[in-house]
This record gives sequence, C-alpha cells and structure tokens, in this order.
Amino acid sequence: MKKQFNIKIVLLSLISITALYSCSDLELEATDSVIQDVSFTGVADSQESLNGLYGETWGMLGDQANFFALNEVTTDEQVIPTRGSDWGDNGLWRSLHNHTWKVDHGFLLSTWNQLNSKVLKASQIIDPLSNSSERQVAEAKFLRAFSMFFVLDMWGQNPFREATDDPVATPVVLSPAESYAFILNDLNEAIAGLPNTGPSTETNGASKAAANFLKAKLILNSERYTGATPNYQEVISAVNAVEASGFALQDGYFKLFEPTVNTETVLYGNIGIGNRIWNGMHYNMVTPNQGGGWNGFSTLAEFYDLFEGDANENYVGSGQEERRGWVPDASNANNTDNYGMGYGFLVGQQYSGTGQALNDRAGNPLIYSRDFSLTNSSETQAIRVIKYHPFNGTNEDSFRAHETIFRYADAHLMRAEAMLRSGDAGGALAEVNELRVLRDATPFGSLSLDDMIDERGRELYVEFFRRNDLIRFGQFTKDWEFKDPAAVGDANKNLFPIPLTALLSNPNLVQNPGY
Amino acid sequence: MKNSLLKKPLLIIMLLIGSITYGQSIKGVVSDADGSLPGVSITIQGTTTGVQTDFDGNYTIKAKQGDVLVYNYLGYKTEQRTVGSESVINVTMTQDSTELDEIVVIGYGSTTVKDATGAVTSVKSEDFNKGVISSPEQLIQGKTAGVQISSTSGAPGAGVNIRIRGSNSVRSNNNPLFVVDGVPLSGGATTAGANVIGLGGNPAKNPLSFLNPNDIESISILKDASATAIYGSRGANGVVIVTTKSGRSKKGEFSYQANVSTSKARETYNLLSASKFLSERARLGLAVDATSNYGNSTDWQDVVFRTAQSHNQNLSYSKSHDKGSYIATLGFGNQTGIVENSNLERLTARVNLNHRFLNDKLKLSFQGSVSRVDDNLAPTGGTAGYKGDILGAAFSANPTWPNDPDFDGGTLVNPANLLAYTKGTTNTNRYLANLSLEYDLTSNLKAKVSVGLDQSDSDNFSVTSSEVLGLEDGIPGNGRGAYNMLEIKNELLEATITYNKEYTDSKLEVLGGFSYQSFQNSGMYSGAWGFSTKDLDLMGSTLKDVVTGVAGEISGQYQQFGFAPNLPGVYVRGFEGLDFTTSSFSPTTNTSGVRSLAVDTYDNTTELQSFFGRVNYTLSDKYLFTATLRADGSSAFPEANRYGYFPSGAFAWKLNEEDFMSDSNMSTLKLRLSAGVTGNQEGVGYGNYVNRSRWNGLNPQNNGNIDLNNGNGIVSFGGNDLKWESTLQYATGLDFGFNNDRLSGSIDVYRKETQDLLFLVDEAQPAILAQKFRNLPDSKIVNQGVEFSLGYDLVQSEDFNWSANFNVAYNDNMVESLSGQYDFANVNGPGLSGAFAMRLQEGYPLFSYYLLQFDGYDGAGQPIISEDKSFVGKSALPNLTGGLSTNFNYKRWTMSAYFSGQFGHYVYNNTANAFFTAGAFNTTRNVLPETLTSGEALGASAAASTRFLEKGDFVRLQNLSLAYDMPLSGKGVFKSMVFSVTGQNLFLMTDYSGLDPEVSSATGGNLPSIGMDYGAYPNPSTITFGINAKF
Repeated sequence: MKKQFNIKIVLLSLISITALYSCSDLELEATDSVIQDVSFTGVADSQESLNGLYGETWGMLGDQANFFALNEVTTDEQVIPTRGSDWGDNGLWRSLHNHTWKVDHGFLLSTWNQLNSKVLKASQIIDPLSNSSERQVAEAKFLRAFSMFFVLDMWGQNPFREATDDPVATPVVLSPAESYAFILNDLNEAIAGLPNTGPSTETNGASKAAANFLKAKLILNSERYTGATPNYQEVISAVNAVEASGFALQDGYFKLFEPTVNTETVLYGNIGIGNRIWNGMHYNMVTPNQGGGWNGFSTLAEFYDLFEGDANENYVGSGQEERRGWVPDASNANNTDNYGMGYGFLVGQQYSGTGQALNDRAGNPLIYSRDFSLTNSSETQAIRVIKYHPFNGTNEDSFRAHETIFRYADAHLMRAEAMLRSGDAGGALAEVNELRVLRDATPFGSLSLDDMIDERGRELYVEFFRRNDLIRFGQFTKDWEFKDPAAVGDANKNLFPIPLTALLSNPNLVQNPGY
Repeated sequence: MKNSLLKKPLLIIMLLIGSITYGQSIKGVVSDADGSLPGVSITIQGTTTGVQTDFDGNYTIKAKQGDVLVYNYLGYKTEQRTVGSESVINVTMTQDSTELDEIVVIGYGSTTVKDATGAVTSVKSEDFNKGVISSPEQLIQGKTAGVQISSTSGAPGAGVNIRIRGSNSVRSNNNPLFVVDGVPLSGGATTAGANVIGLGGNPAKNPLSFLNPNDIESISILKDASATAIYGSRGANGVVIVTTKSGRSKKGEFSYQANVSTSKARETYNLLSASKFLSERARLGLAVDATSNYGNSTDWQDVVFRTAQSHNQNLSYSKSHDKGSYIATLGFGNQTGIVENSNLERLTARVNLNHRFLNDKLKLSFQGSVSRVDDNLAPTGGTAGYKGDILGAAFSANPTWPNDPDFDGGTLVNPANLLAYTKGTTNTNRYLANLSLEYDLTSNLKAKVSVGLDQSDSDNFSVTSSEVLGLEDGIPGNGRGAYNMLEIKNELLEATITYNKEYTDSKLEVLGGFSYQSFQNSGMYSGAWGFSTKDLDLMGSTLKDVVTGVAGEISGQYQQFGFAPNLPGVYVRGFEGLDFTTSSFSPTTNTSGVRSLAVDTYDNTTELQSFFGRVNYTLSDKYLFTATLRADGSSAFPEANRYGYFPSGAFAWKLNEEDFMSDSNMSTLKLRLSAGVTGNQEGVGYGNYVNRSRWNGLNPQNNGNIDLNNGNGIVSFGGNDLKWESTLQYATGLDFGFNNDRLSGSIDVYRKETQDLLFLVDEAQPAILAQKFRNLPDSKIVNQGVEFSLGYDLVQSEDFNWSANFNVAYNDNMVESLSGQYDFANVNGPGLSGAFAMRLQEGYPLFSYYLLQFDGYDGAGQPIISEDKSFVGKSALPNLTGGLSTNFNYKRWTMSAYFSGQFGHYVYNNTANAFFTAGAFNTTRNVLPETLTSGEALGASAAASTRFLEKGDFVRLQNLSLAYDMPLSGKGVFKSMVFSVTGQNLFLMTDYSGLDPEVSSATGGNLPSIGMDYGAYPNPSTITFGINAKF
C-alpha cells in the first residue's frame, strides 16, 4: 500500500508540475521578425522603408500589366490583339482597348491596391513617430503624391488614413478637390526638402526637379479635379524650375532610353525594361540572351500614321521622322549593333541578326502589317512598338534596370501646352518647334490643341501618360479602331470603376457613374 | 480485436461460473490465425456454465455429449461446437469486423460500436485496401460513407484531399485532423517545399506518407460534432485517428510481408504520330519544312512515361506476455513513379510497447517511429506557364524532334532536355513518439499523463543545370538551384483523469483533461544562380556546402544572407530588438561553386492549450448520453478572442434492447442524435494580429545580381479582431441489423453550418497589406447530406463465404451568405493569363464554375462564345460518392474487389485548353487527331470556356485481389504463409476525355481549387504480387 501511495503522489505531482510548466500565456515571441505594439510606433528604419517603397513603385511601373496597361492599353497607342491561341488572356487586354472593362477587371483591383498601399507606407515614413530625416520625409511625400495623383486621375477619389489611425477603422474618402489640395501641398513640401539633383545617375530618386515635374502635371490637369481653370502660369513656373535644375532637351531620340546619363531623364526607376522590349517582338526575333519575344503588344495603324513617312514600311530612307525609328533590312541587319531589331515602329518584313528574312512559326514571312483584328489576328499582323532596344548597352543588359519615368521633353511640352491654353500661341509654337527641329521633324506653321496632343503622342508614346493626355484633350472618348461603339463619347469611361472588393471594404467610397 | 482492459474482470467472472461444472472433461486450444488466444469465454449453450482460456489458449470444461459449446471473444465471430465423443476440441476463431462489440478508438478513449453515440467508423487492418499503398489514407479510401478521399495526382507520395461530410472552409485546409497514436499532427506541410525552377511549385505532398501502412492496426473516422468536439478547435473537418499495431503473439512471432509491383499509365493520349503530324500540316496548308519537320519520329509520352517497378518489405517481431507486449517493425519500400525521375523511397522503424507494473495498476505505453522518406520529383507543376511542365511539354512537343536531351526546341521545351537537366529531391526524417503513463488511482479513477513529439527535418534540392534550354529566368548558361529546409517540431503534453462508476441500472464515465501543444515551424529558402558544375547531384551538394558553410560563419541572429557578383562579400540582414541590422563580411568558405546566393530564414511557433471534459451516462444499457466541452486557447488569435469554447451533446437509444422489440429479428436498432460546435484555425498562420516586420525577400536576378535596396516591410499588421471559425453540426443516425447482424447498416443525416469564415480579405485601402485574415461577417457555408451504408453476408458456410458492403453519400454544399465575389482557380497555358474557372459567391456551391458559354464553331471555325461569363450551374464538388466492396472466401482462397465512384461534379480540362487546340497545332505543337477535325480554325482563339468543362463522373475498379493461404503443417518454421496478387486501378468508367477525372492540379489563384486538370500526373494501374509469412 505504501508503494502505491507514493506512486499516487508522484503521479499527481507530475501532473501538476507539467500542467503548471505548460500552462502557457500563449503570447508570441519575436523569433524571426520585429514585433511591435499593435498601435503604430513608427517604422523601424526609415531609409530601409523608403528603399522598399521605391522598389515597389519601380516594380509597379515595370510591369506590362496593371498600371501600365490601364494607362496605355486603354488608348490608341497600345493594343494587344488575340492571336489564335495566344493573348486571349481572359479578354483582359481586349476589354481595355475597346473600353468594355468591367468592375471585376483584375488589373483594376491590383492597381488600386498597389497605388493606395504605397500612400500609407509613405505616410508611415512621414509620420513624426518614425523620426525620419527631413530629406526622407520629403522623398516620402513625393512618392505619396505620385501614388495619390494616379489614384485621383484614374478613380477620381482618394481613400485616406493617417499612419496612426486605427488600422481597422474605415478610411475617409477625399473629394477630388481635397485630394488635389493634399497632393499639391505634399509636392510643395517635398520640393522644399528634396535635393536639387541635376542630370546624373542619381535621378533614380526623388528630387526637386521630379517633384516640380509632377506638380506641373497635377496643375495642368486640375480642371478635372477642381472644376476650375488651371493656373497655367504655375505650370510654366514648375517646368522652369525643372529646367533650372539642369534638365534640357537632348538630341538623339533613341539614345534617351539607354542606361546612360542624359539631360532629359528627370526620374528613372531601377526596374528591368524587358517587358517593354519583348512584349511586342515575335517569337522568332531573338538575341543571344533571349529566346524570342512574346508577340503581343502592338499599336493602331492610325496612331502610326501620326508620324511623317511611308505608311507601309519603316526601313532606312522611308521618309520617316526620327521618332518613328527604323527597321533593319537585309542590308543593315546585323549582330554587331541591332540583332536585326528595329527602333520605334516595326512594320513590314523583319530580319534576323544575320540579315535573313524571318518567318513566323507557321512558316509565313514575318511581315508586320498595318491591319489586324482585335479578336483573331495572325502572328504577323499589327505594327509593334519598341523604345528600349536590347542592344542598348552590353549583352546582358537586355533586361537592364533603367526605365524612364519622367522625361524633360514631357515637361517641355507641358509648358508649351500651358502657354497655348493661356493664350500665348506664339510662345507655344516656338517651344513645340524647338522640339520638332531637334527630332528632325518638319516645324509647324501654326499650333492647334489637336496638334498639341498629336505631338505629345509622337514624342511620349508608351511612356505612361497617354490616357491622362487624351482625357485632358477630351479625346479619350473619341472613336478609334476596335472601340466599342457604345463607349464612344461615353464620358464615364474617363474614370475607372472602383473595384468591388474595395467598395465592400470601405462604405465611404462611392462607385463612379456608369458602373 | 482483443481488449486487454476487459480480460481481467471477464476472467474472474468466468472462473467463478466455470467452477460449477459437471459431465465429461473437454480440453482444447483456442487460437486465431496469429496463435493462441487467451481469455476466450466458452459456455455451454442454454446454461450459465462457462470457462475461459488461459494465457496459452488452453481450456478445460465439463460437458455432456450433445452439449453445444459456444466460444465468444470480443471482435471475433462466435464459434459453436457440438460435443461428441472426443475429449479434445481445438477451435480456430476468425476476426469479425462487422461485430458490433468491436472496439472503436475515439478521442481520448475508446468505445464499442454498439455504445457509440456519435458517427464513428473504424476500419481494421484486415479490411484495408491492398496493393501499392504509399500512404495510410489509401487504406480506407471508399470504405466509409461520407468520407471522400481523392488523390491530387498519381505521383508517389502525392497530396490527398480528404473531405468528411463536405467542404466547410474556403481556405486551404479542408483536410481532417490526423491523430497518430494520440499525437494530433500539425495541419501544415512537413516536407520542404519543392520548386523545379521555371515550372512553378510542386503540389503539396502527403502529410501521412511518413507512416508505414503495414504498421497500422486501425483507422477511426470521427464524423459528427459529438465525436469530434473533444478535439474542439481542430475538429471541424472531422478527425482521423490512426492506431498502430501492438504486440499480440504470446510466443513471439516474426511476420514478414513483401511485395513487388509493376505500374504503368492506365491511359495515355492518342497524340499524332510524326508522319501523321506532317501529313496533317500539309493537309491544312501549313509549311512542312525545316522549321516543322526535324526528320525524327519520337513518341514523347514514351520518353516521359515508363513502366515502373516497385517493391516493399516489412519485417516485424511481436510478443505479448503477462505484463504487456511489444512489437518492433522495420519497413523498406521503393515506389517508382510512372513519370521518369519520380520515385519515393521510405525506410521506417517502429517500436511499440506497453507494460504493466504494480499489480497492473500502472501502465506504461510507448509508441515510437522513425522514418526516412527520399522523394525524387519529376518536373511537374500545376502552375507551369504556357510551355507546360514535363507532361505538358510531352503532350505538345513536336514528334519529329529527336529524342536527344541537347536538341534545342526553340521557344518550346524539349522534354528530354528537361528530364536530363533538372532534378528535385526532398529528404525527410520524421520522428513521432508518444509515451504515456496510466495509473489506476482507485478501481474507478484513472490518471494518465502523456508526452508526445512529432519532429520532421526535411530538406529539398531543386536544381536546373546550365544546359537546360528554353527556360527563362537566366538559367541557360548559368543554372539555378534552390535549397530549402523545413523543420517542424510539435510537442505535446496531455493529462487526463477518467472516472468510471457502474450503478445498478446505469453507468457513468467522466473524462477531464488538459492538453498543451506547440508547433514550431522553422527553416529557410535559398535561391542560387550561376553554378560552376553542370552535374545535377554536384550542384545540390555544392549548394548545400556553400549555404551551410557561409551560415556557419555568421555570428548572432540573422534573417537573410547571400552574395552576388555585384556585391562585396556576404551580406547579412537581421534584427536586434526593434531595429533592423545589416552587415557584410568576407567569407572563408569557398563559395566559387555558386556565383549568386540569397538565403532567407524563418522560425515561428504557435501554441495551443486546451481543457476538455466528457461525460458518458448509460441508463439501462438502452439510453446513452454524451456531453463534451473543450476550451481551446491558441496563440494564433489576439488576447480578447484567444479562447474558443466547443460544446457538444449526443443521445443514443438502443431500441433493440427494448422489450417491445424482443420478438423482432432485428438484432440492432439504434437511434443517434447529436449536435455540437467545432472550430477551425488551420492555415491562418502565425501572429496575424500583431505588427510584424521582416526584411523583404531577395532572389538573384537573371544576370545574377542581387538588389539589396528592397528594404524591409510589414508582413502582418495589428488591430485584427480575428477569432475562431466555427461549425455547428446537427446529425441524426440510425443503425440497424437483422438476423444477428448478418444484414446491417446505417443511415445518417446531417447539417453543418460554418460561420465566421476565416478568409484573406482585401483590406480597405490605403492599407499596408493588400489582404489580411479576417472573419467574414455574416458568412455561412452549409453542407447537408445523407449517408447510407449496408453490409450483407450473402453466403455463410463452412467452405464458402461471400459478403458485400456498400456505401453511398450525398452532400449538398451551398454558400448561403457572403458579401462580395471572389474569382479563383487559374486556368494556365498559352493565351490564358488572367483566366480563371471558378467564382465564390453566395447562392452557389463552393467551387462553382464561372465561365464563358461555348456553343460550337461558326462557319469560319471561330468559337461561338457568350459575351460575358456566368455561373454555368456546375461545380467541382461531387454530390454523390460511393464505394462497393465484396469478399469471396472459398476454403483457403480469398478474393476481394472494391469499386469506388464519384458523381455529379465537373472537371475543367485545362490540359485540353492549353494544348489540344487547333491554335496549338498552328504553332507547331502536337495535338490529338480529333483536335483537327472539330471544325476549329487554325487561327481560332481558345478562351477558357465551357468547351473544356466536362462531367467528372466515374466508377473505378480500385482494387481487385486474390489471396491464397497455404496449408501448413504447423510443425515447420512457418506458421502461416499467404500469397496474393492485387490489381489497382484496373479499369475506369468515365466520359471524361482527359487521362483521369480524379484529379486536382494546383493551378494557383486567390483561393485553393479542386477539379482542375492541368497536365496532372496520371493515376497508374498497378499489379502487385505479395507474400505474407509468419514464423
């Protein structure tokens, strides 16, 4: 009995000891991450957070889908026809070009999330709790303004919360005028705190010039947000400030997209430009390091026709202006400086780096034709666009991380437009002709608003701002090839629908009209 | 099934009764196939006279000529012998799996079928499926109504979907809780993630493949809330309890099983031959020239598929003695996959022992196993892009290409190249042990303490050499590799107290317990670029040496490290308190084998602490009441919601015990009612309610550079109001049996409502994270259904026995309330970016297809397709699942067959969508002959539509086996020897045009999907020869 009794004691104590030992408070331990209070106490390292924010911004801009597609494929500059079993992609591309996108279009939600999350991440760096330096705050304000500007431009309303707000509280929604004032204020404060960086390798970060560029862009478009006529003099002043930082027009159009310092690159991102090269090239257009393109992104013949030169070919000597580029033919295609790939607009027979006429995968000559069908094109149809050339630099740099985001020529044209719209037609004409002469295009005798938007297209094609430009000129709703007839003249298309899950998450958001 | 707990009292009772004896003395030995049986009760029919066998199975009883001796033993068929002139009657008893007295293991205890109040079924080893069984759940596939077990692919060790009474959750985890020898397993992955570079990830592996199926004694399935609520927050998807064998042979016995098998693809696609490929091109006006005709004739499916030989061997020794028993087993098997490069090798060892001390009052038991699984992976993956994985490449490769690994397929993948220059291997060591001490404090009160450990150390190499062609990501010319490690450590401590009391007309059993379990998940991912060697094995070992060498040089805490051509030295990024730290150093380790490396580590632990209790009360052996309550606390939830309470109650009424039934020939009639709440938190992960930040991930870019300017970021964010997802289940059932249960069955009806669904919700922007786990307010998923099972012993005789079992279950799933709509189930392939097949929305079942409507082709061969997508009224969930098994036994021959079927669901044939279109042929890919006669134009687009949605109904002959039990004298070395031949998956009845409708490719998307077929690894047909010897 004694023995048993002991055993009982032992067992009972074992149970109680183990129970006590293991009675856990179930709290988390920071074993592989930094765990902070539930309330926001500032970012741990402002510079690292800022680096992360830059990285995300470049990542968004380097993508061919989402942000880029919503701002370029929705215009006359870019179209991705479905080619047999390729590029159907659930109608994602077609519905952008023909303006039949719906509220559940996948690019809308991802772009909404991408832009808005950067707003809060920037606010966290800006918040005094983060103890960021004055320059870090200024950089974050520039990046916040950048994201908020596009949310305003694309959706007409900005949800907002401070870094210190309760993360589960419903964000407020700023009216367009409130957003405009907020962004303008951020930019003015950013300009004060940012370095005055001139043309250099350092223009891959926020600078006074970049903030002035965005300020000019914001004010030039302000009628859409505030209803009031823009203060064009401020646009001109902002562009003048960009110029004062050392930026200027530079000769040699396609050189501007190489990863070298030039006087036009106000802001570039460290992001691979492979998408911009390969998304239009045919599968059989190859370089030593890239087994062919993706045969997707194309442009409308009517856009191509805005340029001077032969309508059906773009070889050297086809009468084209510099910005339309050129296509190597058997005489000048080579592997020493072009891999057989052209610059600008690719039309007609394409050649390999050894000067052989290329075929498509079914064995037909690879002749990029003007005409195509949105829903059922062959592999060879439609004109392709290439601004970043795989030869720009050394071999491995076909995917080099250097994409132009703000370019001085845009600022230059914004200033011309502000002059034109504020009554200084002569000043505007001189500005536009300065650019045209530099680009070997025939100077204009006079300048209309239509000339202005066309000139912006010729200079700035596939550089993110075509949608914004067309809307400002009232042309986003005009008819173009393959556009849904019901969408022609539909001003509701000037704003995108708020994604459904965003509406569900925030009852303060109001769906835009027409959706 | 023997039950040692009941032996002693029975023995005493029987000895008392047995003392009143008369007549002649009959002696004998009672045994079963395994040897002598102690504790068998022998009574003389119509009297109270009886005895019990001793520990060697011997008995002596006084009886008259003409008396009928009745031999009873729990879990065995009752035997009768009429006493004649002989004085020795030896009896061999056979186990009876339909016997209602059989023991069923339930949560924290056991009961008998006839006393169970909940919906519990148990499958014993002798009823397990036979053949090549790589994982335990295959043993019980189709055996139980309402339990749908589907393999996700035919790869060795492939993951499995087990659905008990429908799908409740929209998250990844609808699998039940697995409890192995008392240790609840973690629901997460236990093998290091595999990623054959450039082809997307491999699907999840089976969480149970570490267990040797031969070690398993029984598998219990707890289906309703009254049975699962004792597991509280982890019981919502049902519970599967695996119990391993214990020693049972008095004399000590060796058992040896061996089998060899041969497998091949049950079906392959009837692709165009090289000559037909060229003649069809010519017929359709496509160029037949050097860019399409490479002058060879290769059957790429022959290159990729193979006839696979596998073997499996097990040796065990078991012995029981007065104070306990033990068993030791050793298993070794190699299962070769029917796709080249895939195989699974498993080495397992197990020791189970139990011993009683202190006059049998203290019982110690230990179950421990060690396993080593080496898994070689074929380059397959459901998220493979437009080029497809190895199978997609084999289906679409030009048949005029040479079967040469160094042939360049241009923009398409040469399957031979991919096979030759990629390799993926996962090695997993897993240790599972449970030690428990049980002590009888008084005759009514028992206390038990157990500790359990489940540890898994796994690493994975995935390497693609520089000689691979046609892949992107900077691989050709450089090579890429990944070395991943995953360590799981799951520690369990449990203490229970049981109180039993029998009153005159009733019985009370009370259980109280505490359980604490911690789940530690740690490991690392690494990506490497630029290998000095092309040898795949050397690439793997070089990478491992570099990673471990450099890691060893780092002092202190770190999250990441690596190096690259653009960086000086090794970078190290980590934290110190609340600060992020960076540093770099020059390594002394020779890193020349790899030019660029990025390593990222993780380590987190979640804890679960529980208090539980159960009361069983039985009145007059007719009315059974059960109530359970479990309180679970989990560190996955914020403090305010940390504890969840999960109650249940059940009532059963044994109608057959009532007087008014006494004249009926119904041997069983039991009504069961139950209701309860269970929870689910699997997949929510670690610390989703606090602000956590980490360094952002890094990976070598295509030129090998690593960009360190990507900063750190928040990975989870505070302020969540996370709480438990809960499922309320009502169920009722009726068990019946006629004619001594010769015909028996049950019917069950249930309704399950799952609320507060845990879901990755898009956050109100601006937000740090786009999505965060939240409980969806007002969400409700309802599963309701009926289960029916029937067993009948059609023929019972001395020499010939024939029995059949049938089960069928109907389940209706509906998302009854949910705000918003969510698209998922990506459709992959050329021109299919952004395409998806399913939408989650209220008013439709889970996994409902949402597609464009396809209505044939117009005159130009273009598809006629609806303008907009819509719900097409079809779902990937089968609403009818069933199984039919039958057993013939003639003298020493046994034949069994087992059919399974699933009905009412649809499969999205993503393989056809991606590869078998006229457009694919137009781009010099191979297709099926019928692709070119369908009327589809060569330039037609192939949008995801109902064109590729097919009925998934099937009936499969899962298993057909024949066994012969050799007659042995019993005097030789061998006690028994059974030879068997088993065929698995011998035929399939289905209208599905793909290789197999039982498929679930992980094609990616916002939510986990089922029913997608994208180049899925086909289920093989297998013939197995086996021998089972005891000596």
